[in-house]
Amino acid sequence: MSDQAASRLVHEIRNQLAVAVANVEAFRDGVLEPTPARLTIVLDALEQLENLLREIPSERSS
Amino acid sequence: MAQTPSRTVLLVDDEIAVMDVLERYLRDDGFNVVCAADGPAALEMFARHSPDLVLLDINLPGLPGTEVLRRMRSERDVPIIMLTGRIEEIDRVVGLELGADDYVGKPFSPREVVARVRSVLRRSERSEAPASSSERRVGAITIDTVAHEVRVDGKPVTLTPTQFKILDVLSSHVNQTLTREQLLERVSADGDVFDRTLDRHIANLRARIEPNPASPRHIVTVFGVGYKMIDSA
Repeated sequence: MSDQAASRLVHEIRNQLAVAVANVEAFRDGVLEPTPARLTIVLDALEQLENLLREIPSERSS
Repeated sequence: MAQTPSRTVLLVDDEIAVMDVLERYLRDDGFNVVCAADGPAALEMFARHSPDLVLLDINLPGLPGTEVLRRMRSERDVPIIMLTGRIEEIDRVVGLELGADDYVGKPFSPREVVARVRSVLRRSERSEAPASSSERRVGAITIDTVAHEVRVDGKPVTLTPTQFKILDVLSSHVNQTLTREQLLERVSADGDVFDRTLDRHIANLRARIEPNPASPRHIVTVFGVGYKMIDSA
């Protein structure tokens, strides 16, 4: 895996983590309601994370 | 604790699910929030709403965040906090090259972002705040009437009490001609400054505060009348 590809991957992982973390913190702080639509956003982000992890070579071969 | 008056934050991120969370936190904290999801929209919102601070994702469609920052800064010196998922960018972002005021790495805690926004605003408002009420600024000259200090281009100059009084009186009537009589009356409460010595005091004062005393820019002579202090800034 090239450095550039690895860097892009890390960036995307951070972005999806940001979605999950920001939303869950908002639920905890009572700033947003954990509505089904909001929870779906978090679940989608987690699913994306799982897909991104599969792109890491060592993950693919294991 | 809401801010008064309300500050406007421009929030720029192409990840809507992050942006709307930040928007809620900032609104709950008393900020006005305007949002943009790409570079060109960010510049348009910047021109339209004149935000007090910009929260800017570095990775934007349309126009890179770094270029958006550069263009905003060429308009005016607005505080900018970068949001970035690229740790390797951070040095460049907060370094001299781009000069963002702060950065927040992704993922971030929205509360932490609000705290950074407040802290950067405080810092920039402090540096813009007008000098304390005992200080008066006329062009390059700062007069502190409490500490009895005078600075020219930030450098302290030493004045005699009479010179200080003359400068104090003239600088509180900027762009207004004061006659010799008016100056003498205000400067010389105990009658120790006489008509001709006033001219000498002015000459000495000019020698201390004028870049070129032979052709004064701050304290000018109004022939046949008196003197006037000019804000040449």
